[in-house]
Amino acid sequence: MNIFERLQKLDRRWIFLVVAIAIILPLIFPFNSKTYTTEPTEKLYRLIDSYAPGPNEKPVEKDRAVLLCFTHDASTMPELFPMEIAILRHCFERKIKVFTITFIASAAPIMDYAINTVKEEFPEVKSGENYVNFGFKLGALQLPIILGMGEDIAEAVDIDAEGRKVSSLPIMKNIKNYNEMNLVMDFSGSSAGGAWITYARSKYGANVGVGVTAVMAADEYPYIQTGQITGMLAGLKGAAEYEKLVDVFAANPDPNKKEFSRELLKDPKWDNAITDKGIAYKFKQARIGMNAQSVAHIMIIVFILIGNIGYFITKYKQKQQQ
Amino acid sequence: MFEIISNWVAAFLTLCIFSFLYKDNPFYKFAEYLFVGVTAGYTIPLTWEQAFIPYVYRPLFLQHNFILIIPAIIGIFYIFTFSRKLNWLSRYPIAFGMGTVGMGVPLSMHASVLVQMHGAMIPIENINTLLVFIGTVTILLYFYFSKAHTGTYGKVVKIGIWYMMIGFGASFGYTVMARISLLIGRIQFLVADVLHIIK
Repeated sequence: MNIFERLQKLDRRWIFLVVAIAIILPLIFPFNSKTYTTEPTEKLYRLIDSYAPGPNEKPVEKDRAVLLCFTHDASTMPELFPMEIAILRHCFERKIKVFTITFIASAAPIMDYAINTVKEEFPEVKSGENYVNFGFKLGALQLPIILGMGEDIAEAVDIDAEGRKVSSLPIMKNIKNYNEMNLVMDFSGSSAGGAWITYARSKYGANVGVGVTAVMAADEYPYIQTGQITGMLAGLKGAAEYEKLVDVFAANPDPNKKEFSRELLKDPKWDNAITDKGIAYKFKQARIGMNAQSVAHIMIIVFILIGNIGYFITKYKQKQQQ
Repeated sequence: MFEIISNWVAAFLTLCIFSFLYKDNPFYKFAEYLFVGVTAGYTIPLTWEQAFIPYVYRPLFLQHNFILIIPAIIGIFYIFTFSRKLNWLSRYPIAFGMGTVGMGVPLSMHASVLVQMHGAMIPIENINTLLVFIGTVTILLYFYFSKAHTGTYGKVVKIGIWYMMIGFGASFGYTVMARISLLIGRIQFLVADVLHIIK
């Protein structure tokens, strides 16, 4: 039995072990690598960033806001949580008004966890002024709430997760419906963002963005092509791209470099974030994960090649023996 | 202290689930059943607090909005699904649910069919739009089964098959990426949050 025939009969648990090692090592010994940003991520970033208040404008007066809808449970957290952290960081950094909501009971603690994780770094950010967590609303109420928000957000949601009347919160100043809360971002491991496209976009013209697990990404591209989805974060890669954009622009210490610019993005110093101790681990989690992802992909490609070579050699030998 | 304990519990349960990669075992089963039980246990009181109290108890018993008795009774009909004699009653709340689905049909047609069709009917200005045109036409022809896929027609249809294969390949590539990401997430949790090897 030659090496290829042995590989054909290899116990799959050895492959699991090799893949596990290929993932663990890049995580324990992090290294810098390039993160290229793609158009769907950049479009989303630029739209959200356009909602930032001007230098002479009070954040609470701003008539633009983003709604983040958490439509997932813990099973898809490794891909979606870094996206949520990156977008919340962007909003808190640029004082963009942000609302959060979920129609899934098990997403409610994830939503709290995401907000609290980012808020630790932004003590000046206040609930009710800079952000509001609408909390868990029943799945049965999803449709009335999506449609109701097109008329009056405060009336459709009524109370937030802390039991406060939404209409009485300072953040609601100049925010009435989708004309102001102009972007809805849905995070899910399914096509749940479709509900926002069908009702919020078709009826009220709201911009819809999606943060999806990589499995779902291919299904969403036709909607990007027709412009029904404004931007998309696809899996861990999308999260890594957004993390980089926030580092380069929103979190840039130079106040004159907060605006998106392709020139600044090309600067190679932004690809040293992984080993940069100044950036908190939670804000580069996806980029560190993508290193492991790249190594694992190379391993899988090698396995596929070896497997196929082995298959064809074995087949050729069998043919010769006949 | 609470964070340390909760992290170790989560780490233990993660390893219980991973143990399935070796072979099925009682630790895996324990973690699986615990997850199902905890999810159900968490959802029930949350639904009580977020649905029953604000939408039934408070308006009915405190604000005396008695008209709500009608939808509340219709909702209770769901329980009769367990009764052989009275399970026909459970169809009424389902019928109301179906009514709301019907409401979404025109908007769904607009978003999923009309706008997408419009997006496919764009002038052929560059190589991308040409590829979209060829792909759309050949795939639609593939799903036309009233003509045998032979001769010239069969060759055109084959282009559609190639398009679909490329699409499936892209989906599969993304799926591999997604599954690896899940493993990365769990290993990041173990090495960063539990063992504190990376900070």
